[in-house]
Amino acid sequence: MRKLLAQPASAQRLSVCLLAVALVLYPLVFSDAFYRDVGVTFLLAAISASAWNIVGGYAGQVSVGHSMFFGLGAYVPLLFYTLWGWPTVAGIPVGILLSVGLAVIIGLPTFRLSGHYFSMATIAVAELIRIFVGTWPLVGGAIGLQGPAMARGWWDLTFRGDLPYYYIFLAVLALVLATTFMLERRRFGYYLRAIKSSARAARSLGVPVRRVKLQALALSAAFTSAAGSLYGVKTGFIDPDSGFGILVSVQMVIFAALGGAGTLFGPLVGALILVPLQTAANTWFGGGGSGATFVIYGGIIVLIARFEPGGLFDLWRRLAPLLRRRAHAA
Amino acid sequence: MLLEARNVAKAFGDFRAVAGADLAVEQGEIVGLIGPNGAGKSTFFNCLAGDTLPTTGRILFDGADLTHASPEAHARAGIGRTFQVPTTFDDMSVLANVMVGAFLRHPHRNDAREHARRIVELTGLRADQPARSLGTPGRKRLEIARVLASGPRLLLLDESLAGLTPGELQEAIALVRRIHQMGVTIVIVEHIMEVIMTLTRRVLVFNQGRVIASGSPEQVVRDEAVIEAYLGRGARRQRSE
Repeated sequence: MRKLLAQPASAQRLSVCLLAVALVLYPLVFSDAFYRDVGVTFLLAAISASAWNIVGGYAGQVSVGHSMFFGLGAYVPLLFYTLWGWPTVAGIPVGILLSVGLAVIIGLPTFRLSGHYFSMATIAVAELIRIFVGTWPLVGGAIGLQGPAMARGWWDLTFRGDLPYYYIFLAVLALVLATTFMLERRRFGYYLRAIKSSARAARSLGVPVRRVKLQALALSAAFTSAAGSLYGVKTGFIDPDSGFGILVSVQMVIFAALGGAGTLFGPLVGALILVPLQTAANTWFGGGGSGATFVIYGGIIVLIARFEPGGLFDLWRRLAPLLRRRAHAA
Repeated sequence: MLLEARNVAKAFGDFRAVAGADLAVEQGEIVGLIGPNGAGKSTFFNCLAGDTLPTTGRILFDGADLTHASPEAHARAGIGRTFQVPTTFDDMSVLANVMVGAFLRHPHRNDAREHARRIVELTGLRADQPARSLGTPGRKRLEIARVLASGPRLLLLDESLAGLTPGELQEAIALVRRIHQMGVTIVIVEHIMEVIMTLTRRVLVFNQGRVIASGSPEQVVRDEAVIEAYLGRGARRQRSE
């Protein structure tokens, strides 16, 4: 163990393997419906936060309007079912395509803005969409849409227990993380981090800043949309607030920021801490629990902003060498 | 002619920071650009690098018109620049910083890393050091390494040697010489006369947005207009008495 601690790379590999095994075994060990539901909620949060992380973390373009992609992804499959009785699974790729299209339309003008102005523009667009969807009867208005009550086949992605969802979500999370891992090591990943640090310097070195940002947003939107679709088909219900609400966007930002925005596993770690906390708050405080969630989020934002802007990963990066030295001394 | 700027002007509202400046640089030259604070050197520089759009005038690089081209297009064409206030990528290591530059001509990571390693070695930096932990001289050096990795034909150095100790200054001068020997043409903005005197054969003096004198460094420092620009009219009278 001491040897492992002395080599950060292999220690990291080991913890990733352990985490993977734990995630695969979790629903088999905790077969209770409650625990499985927590697991599925965690995976969904980890997927969306990791998707947000590509543009919000690595490229430093803090979107607080990612619910626009999440909501689009959630609505399209259920809309396919409600309008034409089509299989919900067919709506997922369409939702992704629409989200990528929306990302390009939103990105072209808003990426001319920087810092807080970009964040505010994304909030405004997401809120506009939420309000618009809420007044449009074709997409269910304020009431929302429902999916098929009974599965007509696997293609409706409607299952009885949580177990199938759990493994589908886990596979998507693995895909998001694998994609991020690959991008991180390529030119694209270096460009993203350079842009985050100084777009002006990046441009002077020939980085096509606007194009790279747009690609990052499109990719991030695609994964966020997939997360929304998974949420929609799993819950079998979507309304403007649970799809396009600002809390959906804020959650992605907070999960990623707590764990460490711009790190591969940061958003996952954030979700690993906050989802159980949220569930506990809901259980303890009952109906008033949703209010407690806001209070907790507010507190976390204050703490991160004041003490650890780099999130827990940054804290660990600074603490790990000290712990290692102590392990050596012992 | 590698670089040709013709009658370049840049106005911010009523204020004309650059008021019709000309500059022609031959392949293989090192040209110095000096002038008192606020003379418009940096604005002129930003025009040459595509960072600022000139109000009027034209900028030609190797025959191609780059007047309205973006900074990234300038980099692709082969114009590299450093910043007066160093802007390194602080969350990244020295090597990763240099790799961002290297990626311009080496799209694959291993090639870029290989190239970046050579440049890091040449500039005497430590590859695995976090950029954040560098002091100002180190950051200026890293900026030079980074832009050098992007393979420029013309390098615009904006006070890259300012704020160094005498020892560091000698090293930096040697580095600029080495870069020049690699075949890179250089335009250098500098306040330190020692740098200008040792590195350049030809100097342009800026004042109030215009080139008021040009020639060898020795000629220029004796030029009456230059002395007046730096020291005011009184100095000229005193000298003639």
